[in-house]
Amino acid sequence: MSARRIIVRIGFVLLLVVLAAVMLVIGRGHTVYFDNKTLEYEGQTYSAPYRVVVYIKGQPIAKLKARERGMKTTIGQSFGMALGITQEKDGEEQIIECFQKLPYNMDGVIINLPGYLAGLPEEAYISEFVAAPPAEDEDEAPGEDEEMLIDAEL
Amino acid sequence: MESSEKKNLGTAILEFIRNNIVPIMFIVICFFCIPLSGFSPSYLINEIVTRMGRNIFLILCLLIPIMAGMGLNFAMTLGAMAGEIALIFVSDLQIWGIPGVILAMIFSIPFSILLGLLCGSILNRAKGREMITSYIISFFLNGLYQLVVLFMMGSIIPIRHFSIKLPRGYGIRNTVSLLNMRQCLDNLLAVYIRGVKIPVLTFLIIGLLCLFIIWFRKTKLGQDMRAVGQDMQVARDAGINVEHTRLISIVISTVMAGFGMIIYLQNMGNLSTYSSHSQIGMFCIAALLVGGASVDKASIGNVFLGVILFHTMFIVAPSAGAAITGDSMIGEYFRVFCSYGVITIALVMYESKKRRSRSRSAQELARAAARETESAGKAAVK
Amino acid sequence: MRNESKDQNLNSPSKPQDVRKTVPAPQQAAELEKAQMGPVRALAASFGLPRLIITAFLLLMFIAAPIVGNDFWTQISNVINRFSWNAILVLAMVPMIHSGCGLNFGLPLGIISGLLGATLSIEFGFTGAASFFMAILIATPISVVLGCGYGWLLNRIKGGEMMIATYVGFSSVSFMCMMWLLLPYHSPTMVWGFAGKGLRTTISLEGFYSEALARLLRIQIGNLSIPTGTLLFFALMAFLMWAFLHTKTGTAMTAVGSNPTFARAAGVNVDRMRLLSVVLSTWLGALGILVYEQGFGFIQLYNAPFYMALPAVSAILIGGASVNKASIVNVLIGTFLFQGMVTMTPTVMNSIIHTDMSEVIRIIVSQGMILYALTRKSEGGSH
Repeated sequence: MSARRIIVRIGFVLLLVVLAAVMLVIGRGHTVYFDNKTLEYEGQTYSAPYRVVVYIKGQPIAKLKARERGMKTTIGQSFGMALGITQEKDGEEQIIECFQKLPYNMDGVIINLPGYLAGLPEEAYISEFVAAPPAEDEDEAPGEDEEMLIDAEL
Repeated sequence: MESSEKKNLGTAILEFIRNNIVPIMFIVICFFCIPLSGFSPSYLINEIVTRMGRNIFLILCLLIPIMAGMGLNFAMTLGAMAGEIALIFVSDLQIWGIPGVILAMIFSIPFSILLGLLCGSILNRAKGREMITSYIISFFLNGLYQLVVLFMMGSIIPIRHFSIKLPRGYGIRNTVSLLNMRQCLDNLLAVYIRGVKIPVLTFLIIGLLCLFIIWFRKTKLGQDMRAVGQDMQVARDAGINVEHTRLISIVISTVMAGFGMIIYLQNMGNLSTYSSHSQIGMFCIAALLVGGASVDKASIGNVFLGVILFHTMFIVAPSAGAAITGDSMIGEYFRVFCSYGVITIALVMYESKKRRSRSRSAQELARAAARETESAGKAAVK
Repeated sequence: MRNESKDQNLNSPSKPQDVRKTVPAPQQAAELEKAQMGPVRALAASFGLPRLIITAFLLLMFIAAPIVGNDFWTQISNVINRFSWNAILVLAMVPMIHSGCGLNFGLPLGIISGLLGATLSIEFGFTGAASFFMAILIATPISVVLGCGYGWLLNRIKGGEMMIATYVGFSSVSFMCMMWLLLPYHSPTMVWGFAGKGLRTTISLEGFYSEALARLLRIQIGNLSIPTGTLLFFALMAFLMWAFLHTKTGTAMTAVGSNPTFARAAGVNVDRMRLLSVVLSTWLGALGILVYEQGFGFIQLYNAPFYMALPAVSAILIGGASVNKASIVNVLIGTFLFQGMVTMTPTVMNSIIHTDMSEVIRIIVSQGMILYALTRKSEGGSH
């Protein structure tokens, strides 16, 4: 094999590795939960506004009254949203554009909106959402015989 | 004059029917079953287009081993397993959407190459019975796959995500949800024409693969493969490394099957860990043969025709069966019977053709030998 | 290429005297090779490494069973029982291997004939042991007819038997799936209760021929129970097979398998011999499934016969047969080893590590064995 071919091959493998690395970074999926809930932090109380509307790309994703939770799945760590905040009933809606970097290793990210709006440090308003594992206990693998069962979906 | 021409035409038609008996049979079946099933044309077309997008890539991977004279690659399931393992890792890493699909394809490559090399070297030791051997390899590897996925993943191979791990702490669940990458390729650039969704990107990828196959046929390696497929001994005398060429053809097929499986599963939206791959080889091969391919000759056109005919039959058979007999199970069994029947007929036709040509060439040889002795005798008399 | 590659010069003027000269050569070479090896390696070579490993594994299982708290004699009884159910199905492999048709992956065709015999016998109202003999009686003509068709097909496609046999089996099973629903069966023990038609997936043989053979002369000592009747029936069949292989027809059949050109030159009708072997194989398949059912106690229809050929194939290969050589001893050893492995592993494994890996082990061992046989250069084949 000529040196040129070896270099081309190594280059190709490197390209794949780089591509894989890029995909690992940009493809990480998260579920973001928005909590419109009063937050206690270092003795301070940050109370929830009357209503928060979460817009993503101009679409309202969730309309949250106090003590409600909304969610949205997203790919990648940069998460842009707009919050429409109504402090009092029948009050004026005030729109805030905001941008949040999500921690890579969290599947479910809870953002406490009152804490976020108050400008607290990240560890105060971001927490991890841990879902209960689905209760399903089928630990038998199908044997050869069951393989013949004809799957209608193809 | 005229009558002989007519006769020629008649034999030509007969010959055509004989060579294309399987597609013609399927056209007839579809022709009868479609009205009986009572499906609307738009539903049918939608279904067929979806199934084309999801299956063609997988079926195309069968072409290259056929080119190399290794018959129908029943071991394409190996590629499917590699794709599934890659998808399990991607799900574990929680990479979603198109990046997830691309990452899975990259991950599948090393597994596919490894399995392809294994399969190819076994097949090189079983020349002349590649098909039955590849068929058994697919079963054997299914055992190894279960050993790895059911017992090693989570215990030896780190799998941390609870959603794909069995509650007992190791092994992968029976179904792995791919909801987060469901139809992400199909939906990007999708075009709707009168309610029929056309997954343009998927078709583009398929088109690229077709171009690759056409290009590959013309390369040195592709030419070598065809030479090996024609006659191994002649190819070897011509200085082609037969074993190596055959090995490469299986590796390419396996890698492509891995990609195909990922495209297939992103469309389905969930992975049946222990059964997704088991039937895929059989159905792909049946579809290819329905398109008029044979064990030693298959083209891209066969793939497209085959997918359309086979899947039309597959969609309409249960309800057509229910309409005729009042039992939808009949239709389900019927379509399975059709898939097996088609493969059987194609194999029988191939083998008997091979035998005919073999005995013909033997007869010619004998005749030539006789002529030679005759002329030698004449010369002696003179 | 398999040994039929010799068939290439099928109709060409062959030179039998040349062939005759080359026939004993590989055997001589093998003898020579054996003589050069040490005794241990010679044993390994003659017994086969995979077989040695499986035997060792099984021995380990037998030793481990009482240690981990399984009752030894119950285990032995289980193994013998399973042996008695499956032995005839494995025996069905022998004729086709002898005639050079390769491993009979088309065994489901024989099984289908057996199932037809069984269901028809019950449909006609036979009960008890009589239903068993009626089932055999009905299955025989069916299997002969199907076997003739199958044999005729295999004669047209010499060289590609195994693949086509596989798919003939599959097609026939899926065809019968439709037939089980459509055929006009009425016996209330067999059809679905609510619909009144279409056979059930499993039919209990209670009151019919469940344990018809096993009950005969059964020996019961403590936990050890031996189904003497079934074993005797198998012994009879094995003896008949052995005797048949030593008749003139039988030796002719073997000749066809080991060297078709030579056999043709000697005036043997190759195609007839092959046809006969296929019919025999199919009939034994039918018989085998009936014996299996009487032990198991149920008739399994629809998808059940799909993969019944593979265990039988791997059993005979484990027993030391190759793609073109098999004997009764191979059947005995192979069935015992294979069924022993299948029966012992789940219980012992479960006791040791509390997970059932036996299924996976079974698949790997049995398919690995078939692969091993397929990749070995067959003796008498192309050199």
